[in-house]
Order: sequence, then structure tokens, then C-alpha cells
Amino acid sequence: MDQPMTGPVIPIASESSGSNFNFRLHPPSILTSLSTTRGSIPPVVNCPHNVALLRFQHPAAHRRSAAAPHHPRRRHLLPAAEGSCRCEVSPFASANEAGSTLKIPDFSKYKSKNSPRSNQVFSYFMAGSLGLATAVGAKATVQDFLVNMSASADVLAQAKVEIALGAIPEGKNVIIKWRGKPVFIRHRTQAEIQEARESKWEGLRDPQPDEDRVQRPEWLVMLGVCTHLGCVPIGEAGDYGGWFCPCHGSHYDISGRIRKGPAPLNLEVPAYSFPEEETLVIG
Amino acid sequence: MAGLANVIYSTFMRKNTVLLTTAFAGAFAFELAFDITSNKVWDSWNQGRQWKDIKHRYMVKEEDDE
Repeated sequence: MDQPMTGPVIPIASESSGSNFNFRLHPPSILTSLSTTRGSIPPVVNCPHNVALLRFQHPAAHRRSAAAPHHPRRRHLLPAAEGSCRCEVSPFASANEAGSTLKIPDFSKYKSKNSPRSNQVFSYFMAGSLGLATAVGAKATVQDFLVNMSASADVLAQAKVEIALGAIPEGKNVIIKWRGKPVFIRHRTQAEIQEARESKWEGLRDPQPDEDRVQRPEWLVMLGVCTHLGCVPIGEAGDYGGWFCPCHGSHYDISGRIRKGPAPLNLEVPAYSFPEEETLVIG
Repeated sequence: MAGLANVIYSTFMRKNTVLLTTAFAGAFAFELAFDITSNKVWDSWNQGRQWKDIKHRYMVKEEDDE
């Protein structure tokens, strides 16, 4: 009863109470040595590990027993099993003992009345629900940021321009506004197409064949912004029968390619398509 | 009660993967339901004041003119 609590203690029956055995936990190796040397110690606990240890002391008897199958590796398994003995005896004194001064408060008022499983289900449900709410919130946050970055409806409405081509006669220019910039549309004549195709484009400043600049040869669609400093060139003017920029004197030919002057590049061709025969959509 | 808890536990919570999958599927369904419900509440609260409610007054006339 009054033994100090430090270190492994050899099991000794308490002499004061006599009938009550009080044991401390200790490594099973000590138990084994005790049981073999003295042999008079009562069985400490109903623990299978001790039985295994005892068997290990008498390998011949163990081998002879037909009921238990022989394990050749038992010798190696045994040390690892040390300390894993689940003994039922509490290492501490019990409050139920007679004359005990240990008072353990009654916690039953605070104990859950539900089954352990339903308590478990409740905590997992709360964890899952919070995960659900977090997933919804994270998705909404990310979506808000992405929507904020994408184009708004009024920008999208101005992004495309549709033109009826039937209203443009052959050999005429049309300038329309698209995304705040002028766009040249020229209905080219056969002579102009031939001129644009037959010119030597390999030696130009920005070499580009006419086939790469038009989808249909009779329709030339270009951004009307001079590639030099951004002026708007004048149509049907210049030395090459195309466009002429009045600001610094850049000459473009009938395919919109730079021929003379300071501009470094050909007139830019926007993305466009012909959804129908007589309809042009820019953008 | 304990039987129901056992069923719920063994169905959704025994494996962590199942719990996670259920949480994400529930998030998807919850968001869908929440959006639909809130849109319905908004529409009923603003009955007759939105463009889609008064659109027919203007669009039909336009078609008649053409």
C-alpha cells in the first residue's frame, strides 16, 4: 500500500491487509526470472504473454504439445512483444478499497448518455459539415475572383461587329469602328487582286504573301492604324494604289503591305470570319 | 438511435475517402440548391420589377412595327 511509486517494483503481497494483493506494473522479464527462481509467486495476472514466456523456458515441452502449432520464429518474436501485456490490474490504488483516502469525484453527471457510436457520428458529422461549408466558401471566393477578371457584358457586346457585305460595291472602301479602332474593308476588283498576288513580296520590309492576309481575295479586312505611330491612313492614295499615311508618309499597297516610308510592319489583319455568304463578322 | 448511428457510421464515416467524397458531393448539391432557392426568393420578392417581367410589353410592340 505505502510503497513508493518509483521504478519497477517486485510484486509482493501487501502484508498489512493480507487478503488484498496489490501489484505494480513491471517488465515481464523480471516476472519470468522471479517465477523461475522462486516458483512460489502466485500467478500475477491472467496474461497470455506470461504464458508464452514460460513456454519459452521449456522449448522441449512446448514442441511436444500437439495442440499448439510450432512457430520457429517465436524466439525472435518474443522480445518485441515485451511491454505489450494488457494486464487488467490497475497500477494505482483503488478508491473502493477499505480504508482508502483516495477520493475520486463522480464524473457521471458529465458523461454522455448517448452511445459512443452516436457521439462519434456527431463529431464526424460536424467535421464533414464544416468541410462542406469550407468547400462551398472556397469555390465561391475563387469564382468571384475569376468572374471579376473576365470581360463584362458591355465589353463582350462590343467585341464583335457584323457587316452586311452586299452594301459595299466593288472597288470601294468602308471604314467601320471596331473596339474603338477603325477597320478598313475593301471590296477589291479582279485587277487589284491580280496586282496584289503578282507583286514580289519576298523582298519587302515585312514579307507576307497576299494569300496570308485575306480569307477571300475580294475582301481585304485590316485595322486602319498605321504601324508607325498610329495615324489613320488615307484610302486609295499613295504610290502603290493602296493607303497613304499623311503623318509621316508611309505607303501601303493594295494588300496593306508597307512599301515606302517609316512604318515597320504591314497593316494588321484582325480575326474575322464569314458566317454567311454576304455577312462579315469581325472579332 | 444506436442502430441509425451505426448505419450512418459504416456508410459514410468508416473510410476517410468516403467522408471526403460525401462532403464534396454535398457541397455541390448544397450550392446548387442554395442558388436555385435564393434566385427564386429574389424573383418573387421583385415580382414585376425585373426586365424579364416587363420585357413582353416592349418586345411585342417592336415586332408589330416590323
